[in-house]
Amino acid sequence: MTTTNTGTTASTPTDVPVGVQPGQGPASGQKTSAITNHALEAKAIAKSYVIGGQSRPVLDGIDFHVDPGECVFLAGPSGSGKTTLLSILGLLLTSDSGQLLLKGRRVDRLTEVERTLVRRERIGFVFQRFQLINGLTAEDNVSIPLTMDGMPLREARDRAGALLCRMGLEDHRKALPTSMSPGQCQRVALARAVINEPELILADEPTAALDGKSGQAVMELLHQLTKEFASSTVVVTHDPRIYQYADRICEMENGKFK
Amino acid sequence: MRWNLAYRTLFHDRGKLIAGLVGVIFSVVLVNIQGGLFFGLVNKASMLVDRSNADIWIGHRGMHNVDFAHPIPERYRYTVAGVEGVAEVQPLKLQFVNMALPGGKYQQVLLVGVAESTNLGRAYSIVDGPQDAINRNDAIILDRCDDDKLDSPQVGELREVNGRRVRVAGKSNGILNFLVTPYVFANYDDAIEIGGSNPDETSYLLVRLAPNADCQRVCRDIRTLLPELDVMTSDQYASLSINHWITRTGLGLSFGAATLLGLLVGLVMVGQTLYAMVLDRVGEYATLRAIGLGERELLSILAFQSALVASIGIAIGMVITIILKTLLSSPKATIEIPLMLYVGCGVLIFAICLFAAGLPYLRVRRIDPHTALQS
Repeated sequence: MTTTNTGTTASTPTDVPVGVQPGQGPASGQKTSAITNHALEAKAIAKSYVIGGQSRPVLDGIDFHVDPGECVFLAGPSGSGKTTLLSILGLLLTSDSGQLLLKGRRVDRLTEVERTLVRRERIGFVFQRFQLINGLTAEDNVSIPLTMDGMPLREARDRAGALLCRMGLEDHRKALPTSMSPGQCQRVALARAVINEPELILADEPTAALDGKSGQAVMELLHQLTKEFASSTVVVTHDPRIYQYADRICEMENGKFK
Repeated sequence: MRWNLAYRTLFHDRGKLIAGLVGVIFSVVLVNIQGGLFFGLVNKASMLVDRSNADIWIGHRGMHNVDFAHPIPERYRYTVAGVEGVAEVQPLKLQFVNMALPGGKYQQVLLVGVAESTNLGRAYSIVDGPQDAINRNDAIILDRCDDDKLDSPQVGELREVNGRRVRVAGKSNGILNFLVTPYVFANYDDAIEIGGSNPDETSYLLVRLAPNADCQRVCRDIRTLLPELDVMTSDQYASLSINHWITRTGLGLSFGAATLLGLLVGLVMVGQTLYAMVLDRVGEYATLRAIGLGERELLSILAFQSALVASIGIAIGMVITIILKTLLSSPKATIEIPLMLYVGCGVLIFAICLFAAGLPYLRVRRIDPHTALQS
């Protein structure tokens, strides 16, 4: 584990949007893998919020990358821009300037519909408060990403059930989120994030709502699954007890890396 | 999955589901019962025509309502009888007269004189007294539903109509006038005598067609022979009589407004319920948007939920409507719900519910998936 920030070494990437299906569309064959091997790369990302009529910079020319299979932690005090950066990396927010490349393809200029499809197919999210759908069972919650991709519900449930069993939740497959403990809910949320083996997993303070033991268990699972699926992971956290799971820790302060 | 997500989240919040269903059920019941009362009421305007057993009605030029007849020459019946395709012609006499009540009061009634030897014009059916009551001397037939207005006359009781003694020989049930004036049936000759009318004049000539006769052609032939009279099929005259009351009284407007109000209440309740459900689930929708659910897919979830609420609500509403109709419909306040009203109401409310899904959709569109990370 290293505590550092590494700037990107890639040259200017091609300005080609990511297609819905990897390998399809005009971007196919034009990817810049020869230029960069990073799973995710952000270049000179800047973001400001207008607060009280005044523009306030939150991210100030951030350069960042994650390599395939790497687990990077974003640490730092509240208000340092960690979650904003995570949102931009996850295509939930657009940056004011800079470039964002996913597997060498620019994704910062995509339309809203294209961004939604990239999130669906290539990114898994783990939220601080689990964000499970209360009306759905654990199995159905985990099935969502598969069925959004067109998999029949029955087949998706079978796969979701198998994953939940692996995560020690075989007795809670049919349980509603309201009847599960926070640790169990976060394991379900984790299963939902990894079920379709995304290239990138983004986790926002995944242990903040859990006790120490549950937090460790969740991180252990996240570590195992991301290694198994070779997913790259970015974790925003304040919790030093889980730093052991990071390949690299990037500390932020006032919208910049230290 | 979208459907699974839609119905599971809908049924998860049973309180809001019930609120939405109540709105739809209320609309369905209100629209159907209002419509049924409307049809029941306006159909009274043509009851005499509908139950006359006649195919063609002939009356004065400009006839517009069955209850307001003007005299026409009775001898024209022979002219009409000679038209090809006419099997039978009978005169029908209508005249407003006064009936003396036991307490010394008077009640205006509409005296209907029907020919003895035929069922043409016999709109009633006897439920109390002999079936041939009308053929007896000085006999009249009243309706049970008018008992309150006529001080509860009994069969066999003597009454005075236009200063002449008559006997209540039988009673019908459910032959009611659109006006408050009760119908009193008598045989044709008695009616002329009671009313003091000119026997050379009558109110209508009723025609029964021979089998396989062309009704429109017979009407045309009669019009050619009697250009000073109006000639209509029974259906035409029934519609004309109904339209007269709907347009002259503004009845259609008032019932229509009440029905519209029912639809509006349903629209607001369904829209408001779905909107409240969305407000409760903004976080969940933001999460779904974050993990890759598109805007159109969210709209389809809302539309499916609306359609589900509408379908269940319409089904329950129809059952309640049928029960209420069975329990509440009476000859005085008839609830007549034609199949087209059931179907039209169902389709309209279903469409309105889908439209109501637009309200929460406007809110869902504004959901920023980024908020999933902030909650």
